[in-house]
Amino acid sequence: MFGMPEGSAGAGYSHRELMVIEAARHVRDGDIVFVGTGLPLLATTFAQRTHAPDVVCVIESGVIAPRVRPTPISVSDPKVMYQAVRLGSLRDVLGCLLQRGMIDLGFLGGAQIDRYGNINSTRIGVPGATQRRLPGSGGGNDMASHCPRLLVITRHERRRFPERCDFITSPGFLDGPGARRRAGLSDEFAVTVVTDLAVMENDPVTCALRVAQLMPGVTLDAVRAETGFRIEAAPQAREVTPPTDADLRVLREELDPARVYLKAEEPVSGSRR
Amino acid sequence: MNHFTCAYLTLCEIPLYDLGGAARARAGRGGPASVPMTPQPPRVTDKLMTAQEAVARYVRPGAVLGMGGQNIGRCPMALTQEIIRQRIGGLTVAGCNLSIAMDQLVGAGLVSRCICGSGNLERFGTTFCWRRAIEEGTLQIDDYSHLAMVTRFLAGEMGVPFMPTRSLLGSDLLPPAPEPSAGARPGKALVIDNPWAPGEPVVLVPALQPDVSIVHVQRADRMGNLIIEGFSTHEPEMIRASRHVIASCEELVPTDEIRAHPEQTTIPFLHVSAVVVQRFGAYPTSVHRYYDFDGAQVSAYQAAARAGAAAVAEYLNARVWGCANFDDHLARIAGRNTLEGLRQAMQAIV
Repeated sequence: MFGMPEGSAGAGYSHRELMVIEAARHVRDGDIVFVGTGLPLLATTFAQRTHAPDVVCVIESGVIAPRVRPTPISVSDPKVMYQAVRLGSLRDVLGCLLQRGMIDLGFLGGAQIDRYGNINSTRIGVPGATQRRLPGSGGGNDMASHCPRLLVITRHERRRFPERCDFITSPGFLDGPGARRRAGLSDEFAVTVVTDLAVMENDPVTCALRVAQLMPGVTLDAVRAETGFRIEAAPQAREVTPPTDADLRVLREELDPARVYLKAEEPVSGSRR
Repeated sequence: MNHFTCAYLTLCEIPLYDLGGAARARAGRGGPASVPMTPQPPRVTDKLMTAQEAVARYVRPGAVLGMGGQNIGRCPMALTQEIIRQRIGGLTVAGCNLSIAMDQLVGAGLVSRCICGSGNLERFGTTFCWRRAIEEGTLQIDDYSHLAMVTRFLAGEMGVPFMPTRSLLGSDLLPPAPEPSAGARPGKALVIDNPWAPGEPVVLVPALQPDVSIVHVQRADRMGNLIIEGFSTHEPEMIRASRHVIASCEELVPTDEIRAHPEQTTIPFLHVSAVVVQRFGAYPTSVHRYYDFDGAQVSAYQAAARAGAAAVAEYLNARVWGCANFDDHLARIAGRNTLEGLRQAMQAIV
């Protein structure tokens, strides 16, 4: 839609590649990052190899500080466990690190993200009507409950961004300012969503998602057409910086040489149907 | 095989280690402190048996079954297939991430309820039989997060009725607040005020103690001591919370080897009911240090699961009901070359 065939975003890089590289820019050096596989892991390992060498990866399967070998396809894939300092239990990582408050940044995803950054990975549709069952929380609810910063990488499609999630699996700002604190969650919290059209961040006052950056060649109207809730642009909204050749080389040659995640076609995934 | 089977059956007639017996015996011994206590010799029993025996003995219809493994890692496939082979139904399957083993049980029509954090095979898709059964209303689901499930098993293993967490707050995973009526019991989770910090909500989740759990581990001995290598998932808590545990293993080791490195024993024998030796017992999922996962086989199952009940029945007929046991399944479905390839793939990564 809007003139860009899937995969190509202009001079020599794909939408997906720029999403990964842009997401990596939101990983700060020294962050302890809770991450799965796929594009989030590519973004985190890309950050490690570029501006954030002191990032520590924690994988929700119990892996602490691995040297990831390209390219794992599951949190239980041996390649994501290579030369970890510890392979532990779920309690080690979800309890003693995540709930304990030691994780700085968490990557998660879901079928729906609403205006307040709440995420649905449980079911589409309401009780009594036809429903689509989704995989469930996994560690998503835990990450949203305990991470001060969340990062989501997803395609920008209207059905993914409803006004309100059919089911809140992972709490964002719930129904607005103060709601997290009333529920008993920390309000030291921020959500960033990187899509193939834009980078969205929560407004610091209203807590609603707004456009912080536009992908090259994409207009605010194009974003609005694919967003189910009303969305504004941040005052300093700008364009996403394109990747450098060096960025692309690291991504393509070191991190995903077999194009497990970076090839143009989207892999078939159960949660998309 | 027959003489071996007879030997196992004879061994199984020996009473298994009575977890309460020794404690009760000690408690009954009164008398003055000056009377020397005669040490009771440990009642070590051989827990080795076949999968057929272990499942028949410990997995009852309608049981709450704790499921080990995570995604494509160390799922107890041989034990699961034995449950399917014996058609033991009405099960409640509990775990954190439930994946291919759970989905095959659901596909075989043996599961009425799941208590879990997710039904997911990530890049291979959702667990499709599970999804379809929930959508059709034939499978009940108690949704938790992974940490909340770990917390339930933690309460179970520690012998307390509930355990707190700060997960679930504000989400739709929390049940609505119970009606304040006499005798009303909490549902799947309860929000209370932190007694030491009034005004601060905390979630309580009830203990979960499965009737029987199944896990696949790297090494075990005849006593039932278990060594889990690599990631351990929710298994340590789940195993210690369970009333009975069936552990299949890649290798049986002598107890002397356990006693030479006792700090490496993940689970002591006291928590384990049966040990089954089964090489490649997690196939097509991986076992750390032993073999990689078989993506093609996982995809083949997912294709059948996604297609529907008829394809699943055909898949299970060919791979489970049509096979005498798991070794037969491995020989027909994987073959020596594939298994050796997976073994080498793991050696290259680990």
